[in-house]
Amino acid sequence: MKFTIYQESRPGKRPTNEDRIAYSYSRDTLLMVVADGMGGHLHGEVAAQIAVQYITEAFQREAHPALKDPFLFLSGALSNAHHAILDYAADRLLPEAPRTTCVACVVQDSIAYWAHAGDSRLYAIRGGRVLGVTRDHSRVQRMVEDGLITAEAAVRHPARNRIFSCLGGASAPQIDFSKKTPLMTGDVILLCSDGVWGPLPSDVIPRAMSTGNVLQATPALLNQAEARGGENADNLSMIAIRWEDSYAEDTLGSVSTKTMPIDSFTTQMEAFAKARKGAQPMPNLSDEDIERAIQEINAAIRKFSK
Amino acid sequence: MPPQTNVPLPPGYQLDEYRIERQLSLGGFSIVYLAFDKEDTPVAIKEYLPNSLALRSEGDALPSIAEENVATFRYGMKCFFEEGRALAKISHPNVVRVQNFFRANETVYMVMHYERGRTLQEHIQKHKGEIRESFIRAIFSRLLNGLREVHTHKLLHLDIKPSNIYVRNDGTPVLIDFGAARQTLSLDTPLLKPMYTPGFAAPEQYNNTRRELLGPWTDIYSIGASMYACMAAAAPQAADQRLERDQLAPAVKRWPDKYSRQLLETVDWCIRLNYLERPQSVFALQKALADKARIVPRITFLGGLRKRVRALIK
Repeated sequence: MKFTIYQESRPGKRPTNEDRIAYSYSRDTLLMVVADGMGGHLHGEVAAQIAVQYITEAFQREAHPALKDPFLFLSGALSNAHHAILDYAADRLLPEAPRTTCVACVVQDSIAYWAHAGDSRLYAIRGGRVLGVTRDHSRVQRMVEDGLITAEAAVRHPARNRIFSCLGGASAPQIDFSKKTPLMTGDVILLCSDGVWGPLPSDVIPRAMSTGNVLQATPALLNQAEARGGENADNLSMIAIRWEDSYAEDTLGSVSTKTMPIDSFTTQMEAFAKARKGAQPMPNLSDEDIERAIQEINAAIRKFSK
Repeated sequence: MPPQTNVPLPPGYQLDEYRIERQLSLGGFSIVYLAFDKEDTPVAIKEYLPNSLALRSEGDALPSIAEENVATFRYGMKCFFEEGRALAKISHPNVVRVQNFFRANETVYMVMHYERGRTLQEHIQKHKGEIRESFIRAIFSRLLNGLREVHTHKLLHLDIKPSNIYVRNDGTPVLIDFGAARQTLSLDTPLLKPMYTPGFAAPEQYNNTRRELLGPWTDIYSIGASMYACMAAAAPQAADQRLERDQLAPAVKRWPDKYSRQLLETVDWCIRLNYLERPQSVFALQKALADKARIVPRITFLGGLRKRVRALIK
């Protein structure tokens, strides 16, 4: 598995950041999650944190080193995260359960699988064109899609932030699943909260990703969305990967995660307090990795010498 | 660009705590040296140095690695570590023993126990067609003990062939060069692209997409092919060609007067194209070799029919 990844979450102009993002990968499988805790509801950031943490932990339990069925995993992880949020509320006798949107994506064997509830989005982009995008669980967005109102009107619509599916909350979430999407070298998968896609015209995101340089394009997009968000800029979060393998080719080829032990994970989760984070390019075999491998082998030699 | 060859470290070169004596072999990915440690004990040191990525010139110790090759060079290093990891856990008289692993000259080195003797390949060349049954039995029964230990560690060698079987001066064999070995028994996906040697690799090793078929029976095919090579003094027909058109004469037909029927049948049993028809474990094979009265199961009518049906489906 080979990819370049960048994730960043910013508070925008809000006092707190209720977005949570994380990625985690084993040798064979990559997971990315974005959750946008819902303001106006109690403890939005708690719901987002529970969702991201729960899904990441479930991933680490099950991806050894690959998931048996990525869709089944996503389905179980998202609905169990929903129940984990409800349990949290029940334990603390909260008057209502906190809520969060959630979009999660698994890439395994160069095939992307994703699922979402709410209006955090996933874009699959190939050569600057949208290959696939999630449909928001938002009546206003559905009205735009149906041509009932214009995109401009939607931006000012009073119910623009209302969504009809989320994790937590009183009713069971509606979780939508993608198709299995084979990836080619250079394809970009981008997950973001509405603070990113909301202020931007629809063609900006795919165009910005046409170079495939996620390390540059992601912060640039965040800057642009934050500037357009103005005085009221919402929390902005984004994870983007550029996939370096190809489904079409022999996927056994050169890879950076292949010599990871099968039971190890690399995880990056945004901490509660952290608002900004730098680039997270894929680590290469560093001097420390080499030293560690040599030490490990020498330890094994000593252990097994008679 | 034509492939260039690497210049080995010169005799007398002090490499970590070892003194280089001379080069033993040079391959595309590594150089093996005879060296002496502080106590003047001979060791074999394998240097990771793929000549397509890193080149050492005369008089230099450090190889030069082009900027664009650094990542690939380090990736290949991981494969070298795999071999070290695989061998470190095995301590058996018939499997080469790794003693140390260290870093120097911007690359990595594996120190192995130095064995005096020659490869089975050299032995076959020297005694063309005159290898006795007792020799084959002595070598392979011990070698299988080592291979069983390898398999116990959930490892497959995947490149067993006469040139990777070392025969010590006392006549005991050592399995060497685990460069292709992978921890395949515990994984359903391969770590790396396969490596194989025509003539000795099992048919399932040619099929990149069906790596889940690899198992102890894959190494057992190579054992059978190596025994066949001892008798024929040449490598048997490559398995991929055999799948197209099997021209490999059964050992039973070729040498009925030279070797016991039981040994010949065992060899033929090991090199069946259908992996299910081979001995499924080293233990099963050892049992067959030890039990002189045992008749190896022949391909049954049903088995043959199944094979034909399979061919049709393909």
